Amino acid sequence: MALVAEGPGASSRDYFDLFQLAPQFDLDLDDLAARFRNLQRAFHPDRFAGQDAGEQRAAAQLSADINAGYRVLRDPVARAGFMLQRLGCDLKALERQPLDGAFLMQQMQLREMAQSLAEADATAKSALVDEVAALMDGALADFRVALADDKLDAAGEAWVQLLYITKLNAEVAGSSEPE
Amino acid sequence: MVLLQISEPGAATEHAPERKLGLGIDLGTTHSLVAHVADGSVVVLPDEQGSVCLPSVVHYGEQGVTVGESAEALATAKPRDTISSAKRYLGRDRSEFTAASYLELQDEPLAFVTSQGCFTPVEVASEILNSLRHRAEQALTQPIDGVVITVPAYFDDRQRLATRQAAELAGLKVLRLLNEPTAAAVAYGLDSGDEGVVAVYDLGGGTFDISILRLERGVFEVLATGGDSRLGGDDFDERIAALLQEERQLEGLNPSQARRLLQLARAAKEALTDAEEVSVDLDAVVPGTPVVSISRQQFDELCADLINRSLDACRRCLADAGLSEVDQVVLVGGSTRMPVVGHAVAELFGRQPLNTLDPDQVVAMGAARQADLLVGNRDADDLLLLDVIPLSLGVETYGGLVERIVPRNTTIPVARAQEFTTARDGQTGLVVHVVQGERERVADCRSLASFELKGIPPMVAGAARIEVTFQVDADGLLQVMARELTTGATAQVVVKPSFGLADDEIANMLRASYEHAGEDMRARQWTEATVEAEQLIAGIDAALARDGDLLGSEEREQLDAAVQQLKTAVQGADIEVLRRQLESTGRASETFAARRMDRSIKAALDGVAIDSLSGDSE
Repeated sequence: MALVAEGPGASSRDYFDLFQLAPQFDLDLDDLAARFRNLQRAFHPDRFAGQDAGEQRAAAQLSADINAGYRVLRDPVARAGFMLQRLGCDLKALERQPLDGAFLMQQMQLREMAQSLAEADATAKSALVDEVAALMDGALADFRVALADDKLDAAGEAWVQLLYITKLNAEVAGSSEPE
Repeated sequence: MVLLQISEPGAATEHAPERKLGLGIDLGTTHSLVAHVADGSVVVLPDEQGSVCLPSVVHYGEQGVTVGESAEALATAKPRDTISSAKRYLGRDRSEFTAASYLELQDEPLAFVTSQGCFTPVEVASEILNSLRHRAEQALTQPIDGVVITVPAYFDDRQRLATRQAAELAGLKVLRLLNEPTAAAVAYGLDSGDEGVVAVYDLGGGTFDISILRLERGVFEVLATGGDSRLGGDDFDERIAALLQEERQLEGLNPSQARRLLQLARAAKEALTDAEEVSVDLDAVVPGTPVVSISRQQFDELCADLINRSLDACRRCLADAGLSEVDQVVLVGGSTRMPVVGHAVAELFGRQPLNTLDPDQVVAMGAARQADLLVGNRDADDLLLLDVIPLSLGVETYGGLVERIVPRNTTIPVARAQEFTTARDGQTGLVVHVVQGERERVADCRSLASFELKGIPPMVAGAARIEVTFQVDADGLLQVMARELTTGATAQVVVKPSFGLADDEIANMLRASYEHAGEDMRARQWTEATVEAEQLIAGIDAALARDGDLLGSEEREQLDAAVQQLKTAVQGADIEVLRRQLESTGRASETFAARRMDRSIKAALDGVAIDSLSGDSE
């Protein structure tokens, strides 16, 4: 059994709609958190304790959607992917598109560096962490600009780069974690 | 109805609020407690001697089963018939244990061998719960509507199911299994009214948990949780016991002696909480053995690696929460009385931990709050818990690797789907193997369940599209469904392994225990079902009056018909018919309920503006 990719979520809700937000890339995360808590306060299944089974199941589904929406919207990379999907982009097709050679080369070099990081070399590690963070910021800025200019192709490419950088980031962060 | 309260705050509830009774139970490794809420405050129930802690010890004797102090008193005389720390064995396999020297274990299913027969950990735990149930029934005149039982946050699915089975066996209706650190946070949060990020360090008799939560206006949001389900006060006792044994060359101890030695070790550990040095008299283990003295410093060094294991888990948990510091640290569990724990925790988090509530009682207190809410007492505190799954859930993929579908620390309830395909040409079936854990390889994770999806039409490898959906409800219970998308073939499983007791065996044992109460029981079940039916009918009627416009005429007819059938079933006398009709009418109303909730989303978020105006300090 071989994995293909993450399939569609169990619900195809528009999370901006659910959180009553305009579909913008830049979100106030404190406001998002407050909306999340208010929605759960109203719809979490525990609020329907003692109610009938239909209500409880409907609440469980809505509550799961609220959790999923919060997870997607609070993370800029997931949010970027969701916005592309919302605009009709096929994310799986995007992931299969060839990437810029220079970008890939740089990614490979950084990954090798991450893997060969000496446990004790805190200076090298923090330099690498900073470099990856700067790359992340750059790709997010690219995405933001491309989206504002309605350049979906460029936004799609920036998003795929974000996926790569996210993986790299996890590798750098994990390089000193105990197994 | 809740929806009514959203649109019209303060409106009266439709069903007369008769206060229900929910119990909070802390089923601990070394001792257990039961609490309830009365007049807005939590009461931890004492036994007849005034003690709130029931030792989690069960003795199987010729005269029957005894639990608690009286069982503990028999531990040395009848070591094999006296089971303590059974919680450490719940939901586990024999292969996971090196035998405790004073117990005899049976392999399959894992059970304790006593002179009165074999008893599984589930059965032992159910005796403890039963004893607490009796305590509550003696003290409170009302019938018990349901219980919230606490479990270590780091308990996996099988351990949770074993706990649930133990409760069912004791005749208790489980409203929720609540994570122990979350329960403690609730008790502290509601007690102090403080807000912000709290770390709960919970070192109990057999397990260690660390949870990080954000408290804000009655919402307790678990940000991350971690721990070690095999690290607890027992390990510290064993260290001391091993030291004593080594110092005095005590070898070949029989079960009684081993048990006595452990008791002395524990007493020494507890004495070192206040004393700088203790002398241990080993005469009771092997007569004539000279006294051994242990200093606190010696003890601290002996256990430094155990403390470090807990600190590593704390660091990982902080990283998972995406935080570098917290506003408050709370100590929970009797083992946090060891001074070395308090010092280590204060140093790691850079602040003095709180222990203003009794660390033995705080978990039961939080559980009682949640139980009060979940039995449906609407005047319960404005409290909402948003908990997470402690361990990642995934499926086995080609090559024995794990594909993670729901990562650890995901807020529940959750529904997540992922697509897979076939590996071989013409493959018409596949096995979905559900696992839990953080490791890459299936062999290193815990196997939860396995089921087969059949009826995939023969296709070339990679052409089939199989969607696997994981659903975890607010209880943390997992349901997995697999569906082939081109044909619609489906298979699903509710993860429910058994621990030496199949579900029907439990049902049989329950039936036996209820036989004496047969008629009363049936009458009570009928009354409960009719009350539920009447509530459902009234709820739908009220909702139709308010939001009837949300249904098309055909949908309306279907719902009306379902309500009518339910009314007919209530007039009948067959409990099974009534239950089936309750279920189907409930289903029929689900879409309607979902649409009404959608309609009220805007109203729910109107509060955000109010929150922002009230001087948000975020």
